[in-house]
Amino acid sequence: MGAQAILLVEDEILIRILVADLLRDAGYEVAEAASGEDGLRLLESGGDFDLLMTDIKMPGALDGLALATHWKNLFPGRPVLVSSGHLTADRMHPADELIVKPYSDARLLATVERLIGPPCQPRAPRLTA
Amino acid sequence: MPAKSAETYCVIVADSDVLIRNSLAEYLRACGYQVIEAASSDEVVTVARAGSHALGAILADIELPGTIGAFELRSWVRSQMVGVDVHLAGTVSKAAKAAGELCEEGPHLKRPYDPQSVVEFIKRLQARTSKPE
Repeated sequence: MGAQAILLVEDEILIRILVADLLRDAGYEVAEAASGEDGLRLLESGGDFDLLMTDIKMPGALDGLALATHWKNLFPGRPVLVSSGHLTADRMHPADELIVKPYSDARLLATVERLIGPPCQPRAPRLTA
Repeated sequence: MPAKSAETYCVIVADSDVLIRNSLAEYLRACGYQVIEAASSDEVVTVARAGSHALGAILADIELPGTIGAFELRSWVRSQMVGVDVHLAGTVSKAAKAAGELCEEGPHLKRPYDPQSVVEFIKRLQARTSKPE
């Protein structure tokens, strides 16, 4: 079994870098998207991910919750983690888990691990589609 | 060109097309580089100003969107950041070639994929999403 792959969608680049580095250092594979549209394009291109982690408010026509709806259609049963400084737990459908900004590295890793498990061994390179 | 250390040498891949950006970044990571993905010139400037990474090179699409264009970005980087190479590429093939050259320079000696295979991979992804290059 290979390392779990995470699709990270975040429009603030410094946050995106920090979170992506943290998750990669922990052993997960991470694909980064700067908008909901970018995230959807990665999904439509055949990207296979174990977890969607997305911000809610992003520029463009597709916010995090709309992207999560597409995700649930493509990957029923695979979890969605939303990160937000505003959203409340009762308004986060179709997300499975909410992590409120600002959050600690330990809290994020614990949340991801609860959703998809601890990182496994790296996958073979994905450049074979 | 000085030897590059994976610990200290970071490459920014700047391209508005997420499929191209993601593929080139994955290629360079497999070569051993720390890679930052930027979707616009504004994101490149934000990262550069943050100063949190030891930037060694920027690989940017010649039509990179943002407040400043790719050529202006290159001038800005040259004026603000000594020793940072800026590679501008107008096509996927040229971007992959530039990434391949970075891989040949280090930090690892082996190249995981041929640059042409990266181009073909990106084109297959783009075909799936039915978006023009």
